[in-house]
Amino acid sequence: MTDARRFEAAVLPCLDAGYNLARWLLRDEAAAEDVVQESVLRALRYFAALKGSDARPWFLGIVRNACFTHLADRRGRPEQSGFEDQALEAFQQHAGLAAPDPAQEVQKGRDRLRIDAAIRMLTPPLREVIVLREIEGLEYAEIALIAAIPMGTVMSRLSRARSRLKELLSHSGVDR
Amino acid sequence: MDDDELSALIRNQATRHTAGERLRAAVTTQIALRAAARTPGEGGQPAVGRWRPWLGPGVFAGFAAGVALTLALAWIVPRFAMPEPLQSELVADHVGALKTGSLIAIASADRHTVKPWFQGKLDYAPQVVDLAAEGFPLLGGRIDHVAGTPAAALTYARHLHMVSAFVWPSDRALAPQRSQRMGFNVLHWSDGSMQVWLVSDLEIAELERMGLAWRARVAAP
Repeated sequence: MTDARRFEAAVLPCLDAGYNLARWLLRDEAAAEDVVQESVLRALRYFAALKGSDARPWFLGIVRNACFTHLADRRGRPEQSGFEDQALEAFQQHAGLAAPDPAQEVQKGRDRLRIDAAIRMLTPPLREVIVLREIEGLEYAEIALIAAIPMGTVMSRLSRARSRLKELLSHSGVDR
Repeated sequence: MDDDELSALIRNQATRHTAGERLRAAVTTQIALRAAARTPGEGGQPAVGRWRPWLGPGVFAGFAAGVALTLALAWIVPRFAMPEPLQSELVADHVGALKTGSLIAIASADRHTVKPWFQGKLDYAPQVVDLAAEGFPLLGGRIDHVAGTPAAALTYARHLHMVSAFVWPSDRALAPQRSQRMGFNVLHWSDGSMQVWLVSDLEIAELERMGLAWRARVAAP
């Protein structure tokens, strides 16, 4: 029982971060819940291996791997870059539909929709680094650990993701 | 827009999804189940894994003897023990719901959501009390069959422990009775109009604390 208590104390505080990552990567509420539950079970099985080091990047790494497995199963192939251009077209059309509105709250809500939509347009490897860095506020080293990539790759992916987002946002009128 | 502006924009505007109550409840249940499946003590290895190296012919002989003894006892003991089938059935319902993940059909911590859910599903209105302040948050409810009739079953949590509270009408008041089945504690009472059966792997003292809080809430909502 003490094991379970320790596990709960370590992993439950990361549940929101894990769900947020899964939700962004899978873009589906039910699938994200399934993957997080599955990840908790996997984490339980390997909890002894953690030996007191920081649980957050460890748990997020498990969630992240489960998400990519899920994506590969769902598509039968990894995402390809061609997807991005189709997505950009769809996004531009969608953004064009929204009429301008003077009220500031409406504008703020619309900004949220546009920023969310732009992040969703990114390919999963780019979306992953943006979510972990900008929404979860993790360090480069933690992201490298979670995604199992070198620090240099984290930085280059972040920079690609940022320029892609700027491009997408400038098309949809979110610019300051 | 430079990188810092973009970062600020995402940080302030992008949606941060949070795990809902349903997911939290499901995860807590999984942890509690897994903890219950493990033998207490060191390691945290599943019991089955720890036994494997021991398996040998001698162990099988011992195992066979154990099975024979258990069968014999299972045959003899019920003839001497007082039959109390209801407790066993409720424990089986509780364990079955934990096992199949059907502990909660309506997930809500709000009794004003859970209670109306039973409307039209039962021919009575069960007591649904909010015990969050006492440390027993309500997770939700379900319909279970008790002695062949549908009954309200509510789920409460106490740390890692799940408590099933079965509620159905009664016509005779009964002071709290405690009992034990398969390592689970059962506490039941009746206020003369409703009877409540609490089933959990929680210690009996904690369960009695919950029973006290329940009756206090019903007496003075």
